[in-house]
Amino acid sequence: MAKREPSITTENFTAVQLMELDSCSRCGECVEWCPTYDASGQDPGLAPRDKILRWREYMNQSYGLRAKLFGPKEISEDDIEQFKNDVYGCTTCGMCATVCESGINTVEIWESMRANLVKRGNGPFGKQGAFLKLIGEYKNPYMADNKDRTNWFPEDIKIEDKAEILYFGGCTAELRQRKLALATARVLNKLGIKFTMLGEDEICCGSALIRTGQYYINDIAKENAQKNVDNIVAKGSKIVLYACAGCFRASKVDWPRLTGKELPFKVMHITEYLQDLIEKGEIQWEKSVDKKVTYHDPCHLGRHVGVFEPPRAVLEAIPGIEFVEMDRIKENQRCCGAGGGVKAGIPDLALGVASTRVEDALATNADLLSSACPFCKRNLSDGRDAIGAKELEVEDVIVLTAEAMGIDLSDTPDE
Amino acid sequence: MDYFAGVTDALRVTFVQMMLISFIAMGIFVVGMYINLKKWGMGSTGYGAAPSKSIMAFPKMLMYQMSEHAHVHNQSVLETFVLDILFQRRILRRSPLRWFMHFTIFVGWMVLFAMSGAMFAVEMIHLIGEKVGYAHDLPWFMIPETFRELLSVPNDVFSYILLIGIIIAIYRRLFVAKVREATIAYDSILLIGLTLITISGFVADGIRTGRLWGLGIDSELAPPMALFHVVISLLFCIAYIPFSKYIHVIAIPLALLANKGGE
Repeated sequence: MAKREPSITTENFTAVQLMELDSCSRCGECVEWCPTYDASGQDPGLAPRDKILRWREYMNQSYGLRAKLFGPKEISEDDIEQFKNDVYGCTTCGMCATVCESGINTVEIWESMRANLVKRGNGPFGKQGAFLKLIGEYKNPYMADNKDRTNWFPEDIKIEDKAEILYFGGCTAELRQRKLALATARVLNKLGIKFTMLGEDEICCGSALIRTGQYYINDIAKENAQKNVDNIVAKGSKIVLYACAGCFRASKVDWPRLTGKELPFKVMHITEYLQDLIEKGEIQWEKSVDKKVTYHDPCHLGRHVGVFEPPRAVLEAIPGIEFVEMDRIKENQRCCGAGGGVKAGIPDLALGVASTRVEDALATNADLLSSACPFCKRNLSDGRDAIGAKELEVEDVIVLTAEAMGIDLSDTPDE
Repeated sequence: MDYFAGVTDALRVTFVQMMLISFIAMGIFVVGMYINLKKWGMGSTGYGAAPSKSIMAFPKMLMYQMSEHAHVHNQSVLETFVLDILFQRRILRRSPLRWFMHFTIFVGWMVLFAMSGAMFAVEMIHLIGEKVGYAHDLPWFMIPETFRELLSVPNDVFSYILLIGIIIAIYRRLFVAKVREATIAYDSILLIGLTLITISGFVADGIRTGRLWGLGIDSELAPPMALFHVVISLLFCIAYIPFSKYIHVIAIPLALLANKGGE
């Protein structure tokens, strides 16, 4: 009789990740801090600790001592399907990694689990399955003509053909939240910084594919990353600026992994760049923004790559702003709920997490909740609307910067 | 051969028995770790790469990650080893009580383990010395009875440190609702094993010395009690490590090293 095959494979897991499953001490800290576990009404399946336990059991049933002696134990398809639903109920915010007493890199384990399940035929979740086709076909996840990335810029925007500095706009800012792209371009213009953009040659950074475990299919994410790198190099750029935390994280962390090479240019979030200019006294403020402002750290900008201070430095430099912090900030920040494909796959869950974060902001009595990521802005705005907190404005740090520099954004075209 | 670190003939457990159990325990441990290394080696040696299926995959990936530049924390191996592995600051950051509990268990356990190892080494050196003829040249503290006496007080101190940690752990598992509700057999077995080893150690020592923990038990029962303590210690704390939650004593330091102390 043929020996039964294991129900799961170890595809897309590294050897260290498989070891990390055995290093969970089940202290429960991750459960205490997980935003989706909380927003789901404490669904035990969403608890990070539980996911580690279940996959460890699957591994032992498939490749442990008993499996070696008597053959692998079958894991039911229902169990695996349920596991898939649970592992996609995560924004990959990384809070569990921050509080993990064993130092487990949980975010990358969730992404590996997702990639494994996609390969197995279980993942991704719901509408996330469309990312691959859309990004493969349209080069962006919004089914937009890629020419529309920058051809809408008003005539006053000056973009060089080639320059040392390149602004990588990102799909969301260029195609959906154009105010942010326009604000970034006008701020750079007003500061006299010559910059270029990829325009229709820009391709989705791949964040949506990577976070949802679809990065390796047809090598789309890898090819796109390489094309973006090549196109940036062709522009002669040495510094690439981002106003989108998701694109920034993907470029800084994921592109080198996908392409197998270090980036031949420096990547910076726009707030890091502005902080430098502020410290050199090179920004002239023209208007006072008389508002009480709080700041939400995007997971991809903060916990994932450690950029916590620059957005705060920019906000604190803007005349008139009274800056206040929420209770949970920086490493301990609460996720907005949009990441990891949750906004596309499980919008109700995303909204629940966002509502809690908006309540954090309301507790500070702030007039405005700022962030440095268009995806956070979108979900926090939805969260605000869901709880009816109309009085709370949600805006990006760069838009506030533009306002304080006396830049008019009223001509932002509709999306 | 009839050798044992006890002080009188009545307290002796045969050397052969002890060595046999030790080798069995070590053998089971080695086989278990081999199975674990094979299991971990089912992963790849690079992100997105194909599974390696080589027993060398884990050490290769570990070395790669340890040498890779981290985007957030990029601390040294030494800092990780001292502050995260030995001092366990990640636990302290989250819960001082849980840190105190775990640290007392860790310190108590490791020191007792080291002292047991040292005692074993002294006995072996002396035993071989007696056979070969250099025993009388050994320094005074290398005489097993003297060495045992030297370790007597630290043994007591670290045993009680360990016991304090275990009592806190049992209290949490029984009386803190959140912890109790989340407890599964995987957790319980670890704590039950640890408690059994520690209590049997106290009782074995108490019977041998006739002190409080002897519970008035006849000293003739000291050897079997000592044997019981040694057997379950070796089985739980060496042989059972690769197959249970005890694996965390190996896996957590490795995870901390791989992730440069974690996020």
